Amino acid sequence: MSATRVPPPKPSERVGATRKAENGRINDEPDFQTLLRAWLESHRASLIDSLRRLARQPIGSFFTCLVMAIALSLPMGLALLLDSVERLGGSWQRAAQVSVYLDLKASEQRGEALRDEIAAMEDVAEAQWISREQALEEFQQLSGLGDALRELPENPLPGVVLVTPREIDKARLEALRLRLAELPDVNQAQLDLLWVERLSAILKLGERFVFGLTLLLVLALLLVIGNTIRLHIENRRTEIEVIKLVGGTDGYVRRPFLYMGALYGLGAGLLAWAVLAYGLNWLDQAVVRLAGLYGSDFALLGVPLGDGFSLVLGAVLLGYIGAWLAVARHLRELAPR
Amino acid sequence: MIRFDQVGKRYANGHVGLHELTFRVRQGEFLFVTGHSGAGKSTLLRLLLAMERPTSGKLLLAGQDLSTISTAQIPFLRRQIGVVFQNHQLLFDRSVFDNVALPLQILGLGREEIARRVGTALERVSLHDKAELFPADLSTGQQQRVGIARAVVHQPALLLADEPTGNLDPRLAAEIMGVFEDINRLGTTVLIASHDLALIARMRHRMLTLQRGRLIGDGEAA
Repeated sequence: MSATRVPPPKPSERVGATRKAENGRINDEPDFQTLLRAWLESHRASLIDSLRRLARQPIGSFFTCLVMAIALSLPMGLALLLDSVERLGGSWQRAAQVSVYLDLKASEQRGEALRDEIAAMEDVAEAQWISREQALEEFQQLSGLGDALRELPENPLPGVVLVTPREIDKARLEALRLRLAELPDVNQAQLDLLWVERLSAILKLGERFVFGLTLLLVLALLLVIGNTIRLHIENRRTEIEVIKLVGGTDGYVRRPFLYMGALYGLGAGLLAWAVLAYGLNWLDQAVVRLAGLYGSDFALLGVPLGDGFSLVLGAVLLGYIGAWLAVARHLRELAPR
Repeated sequence: MIRFDQVGKRYANGHVGLHELTFRVRQGEFLFVTGHSGAGKSTLLRLLLAMERPTSGKLLLAGQDLSTISTAQIPFLRRQIGVVFQNHQLLFDRSVFDNVALPLQILGLGREEIARRVGTALERVSLHDKAELFPADLSTGQQQRVGIARAVVHQPALLLADEPTGNLDPRLAAEIMGVFEDINRLGTTVLIASHDLALIARMRHRMLTLQRGRLIGDGEAA
């Protein structure tokens, strides 16, 4: 073999040797247009290359996305369930009432007058009078002790004014309760918010649990994506070394892996959205049936569009960050010492 | 082009790779660096490629101090250098064309321009009809020529080669050296690390001789 003689390229074509300044220094400052073109071309090539590599291993790529999707859907699913329970708790809270028990001696007219007086108060949205007879009748129906109650010599239940407050604010409710308790002929004013407080405490605990779980699973996701990208890096070690030696910047080396991480995240985010939508829909049928038995029209929320997009965006970011961390570690190993 | 002033390289384990090396290389020069295994040839090339930094002295490449060059500047420096490895370092999942195109893709040239320049580089090493093949389809000599085409496709100011004929028979080795001389005639400074003294003697170029990291000879190969 002998090397083919080719005419030397025109000076303007020389990328390296003739791009020297007059003082002999190598001109290592590429112009803006070259940089921009290189950047765009590199992004296009990196994206296509990453897509090709993922498509070349469809099963492996799918399972990596699925693992990430499951890890993502757990905290997101719990958060959505908590949202639904909070919504339910909120509606119950709004229905919180103060029960104003009158003296047994208070007459029907006195009860009605008291109801009107209470209804006129600023903090009160509604007041309802339940006479002693109505109370007994209702109790007989609900308790199933109708026969036994009929045997009693006299009605033991007092008349009650059910007060619905305008706002659920613990301090204001307590002030209202005290005002109601001091009214004439009132034996007791009872505000039972304990169950609301308990529910609120449980929900807060749930939120903390979801937050902790999210942190742990985000860490796990970063490890999963980091490890996956690390394997890709190991498989392309020679390529990275060659790219670095022919002048590839860290950004150039990093780019295809970042796209790969982001694509894994995108796949995982979409899968997680689908898993959640299907899972919540499946659960909702049972919840609606159960709520119906309690006379409620409560139903699960599903995955709101905004939350779905946040989930996908978060997953893409996690994939990107995981890939960044994995590549950064490798690039440090290749730095000159 | 290259200036070594008392350049030393001492590793963290105490091993001395190079010992106060001083020499200069002019632009457009063709020279060999020779010596036994462990003499410091590869260390010298690694310093020129900024894969390692000198621990003493001053190393200038086209006016740029490689002892103090920032990590961010290194890729731009390397774009002015072509490098040929003994084991070719080709990417076996890419075609010959894509292997040679790599430095141009990094430079961000357009696809048509890349195709034209890769064609020219492959023609220069007589592999223009192998562009679509993969490295595994080529002989060792052809693989080495692909490596050379990749090293010169962006027309670097300096071409470094580390034992480029180490795995080749004498006929192929002479052909490869002919390619290097052609490239040198185009104005590229060529520095080849080799321990093949017979081959170096035939070429009659300047030769630096290293022994245990010290420069013990600098003159034309006899």
